[in-house]
Amino acid sequence: MIPENLAVERGVSAGDAWVTVEPANIHEALSALKDGGFRLLVFLTCVDHLADSSKEWPARYEVVYQLRDMETREQLRVRTFIDGDPPHIESAYDLFPPANWDERETYDMFGIVFDNHPDLTRILMPDDWVGHPLRRDYPVGGEVVEFSEEHERWQTAPEKA
Amino acid sequence: MTAEIGQGITVAKTGEQGAFGGELLTINFGPHHPSTHGVLRLIVDLDGEQVRRLTPVIGYLHTGIEKQAEALRWQQAVVVTDRHDYLSPPINNLAYALAVEKLLGVEVPPRANALRVIMSELTRLASHLVWLGTSGIELGASTMLMYCFRERDTILDMNEEISGFRMHTSYIRPGGVMADTTPRFLEMLDKFVRTMPSNIDEYEALLTMNPIFRSRTIGIGMLPAEDAKVLGATGPMLRGSGVAWDLRKSMPYSGYENYDFEIATSDMCDCYGRYLVRIKEMREAVKILRQALDRLPDGPINIDDRKVLPPPREELETSMEAVIHHFKLFTEGYTVPPGDVYVAVESGRGENGCYVVSDGTHKPRRVKFRAASFVNLQPLERMAMNHMVADMVAIIGTADTVLGDVDR
Repeated sequence: MIPENLAVERGVSAGDAWVTVEPANIHEALSALKDGGFRLLVFLTCVDHLADSSKEWPARYEVVYQLRDMETREQLRVRTFIDGDPPHIESAYDLFPPANWDERETYDMFGIVFDNHPDLTRILMPDDWVGHPLRRDYPVGGEVVEFSEEHERWQTAPEKA
Repeated sequence: MTAEIGQGITVAKTGEQGAFGGELLTINFGPHHPSTHGVLRLIVDLDGEQVRRLTPVIGYLHTGIEKQAEALRWQQAVVVTDRHDYLSPPINNLAYALAVEKLLGVEVPPRANALRVIMSELTRLASHLVWLGTSGIELGASTMLMYCFRERDTILDMNEEISGFRMHTSYIRPGGVMADTTPRFLEMLDKFVRTMPSNIDEYEALLTMNPIFRSRTIGIGMLPAEDAKVLGATGPMLRGSGVAWDLRKSMPYSGYENYDFEIATSDMCDCYGRYLVRIKEMREAVKILRQALDRLPDGPINIDDRKVLPPPREELETSMEAVIHHFKLFTEGYTVPPGDVYVAVESGRGENGCYVVSDGTHKPRRVKFRAASFVNLQPLERMAMNHMVADMVAIIGTADTVLGDVDR
């Protein structure tokens, strides 16, 4: 199981157990959990807590790892909070191979940079896309028509415009 | 074993020599190739006709479903869940509905659970039928498509009868289901359950001992159990490698623990094994449908909570309270207590999960779909390595990825 000195906070949300760790310790914590039996990374994603007034959040981005022990059928959600522009966190790809595409997706959608990832490129959006669509400050709807002149202007990075 | 998988786009350098004395050739497979079941692009390095490297490129069907769900109210977001895995909409609805219900802390009545199981199993059958038909046609058995779509159409007719919609039913909603059964639906279902086993025999007669089909699938696309587990494969991909893991048994939901059925597995670990698993699963689904139909409990199909579900139409004419609830629900929606929850259900393709985060407002803060196809596509390189380029068609086919699910 997770060493006590790594866990910052524990809790249960709607029946799901979770544990918060410091972002600097994430690789160590996941590695310990993997050795403790949580061998499957079900998914990895991010939640953007921009202007979320439901409680006091330590940082804007919450990176979430859902782990499962397929023998005992136990599940655990590991959460860590990061900030920064862009936010950085250690990749879990070497521990859990399925994290490869999940991390690429999280980078694509939220702009989280996973350090030591073998190929951190966009996966769902086009390679030259500007912005990270699932961030809460990215507008929903109102995108201009693709291949139009406006689209070209809209999709030009500010430093190049 | 895992370090060499998925190292990004690795294109053969000019002049790189293959084992047969020729240069490696990089080709583009798809995105519009019919055998990719959608728009999947593969960059393949070929040595002669053998696959040496393979990089899937996805995102061609990305429609921003998760972003849209954040912009919709809780009850409206059901509609977008239909559309990611477009071959199994009710199962996607179920994952979302269970997640929202868990956050709300409500439990649906037994009849709603039974109807959810019926719709899930019908969907599983429909999804496997599409897979069987299209995979058959790719491997040269063109009759399969006709046979399979005949039964799939009956299932779509049943969808239409119960929900008014053939494909994107939005039938399963937080708090219950959309409508009760009609006598005609039960009649159709009964007839379907009686005729389906002999139809499955028909498919098996065409394929199981067919020498062409067997030689194109046996020993092709091997995925040993340990690799399947490490790479996170779920559903028939995992069970085809001999691991008896089915969420309906392992972590039951919606009352699946009350039904008598077996987990279909095969130790063959190849494309043929995955085919056998799906055929067995179809038979088990018919068994579940028969039990659900025989024991369909009476009673309400929705929870009795006017804050979550609208009051019945008749009540609006007599009760002021009902009018207020109706108005509030359709203008403002309902709020869900803050928190996050992950619910996983077994779809035709594997673990279809929904991770929902609520910040206590009328709209979800985050809805993440754990798409089975997205994860099941990653072992593709492992399976296709050193096979002929024509075998890739069988391998992609039996992985049964829905590209809408991969790209969301």
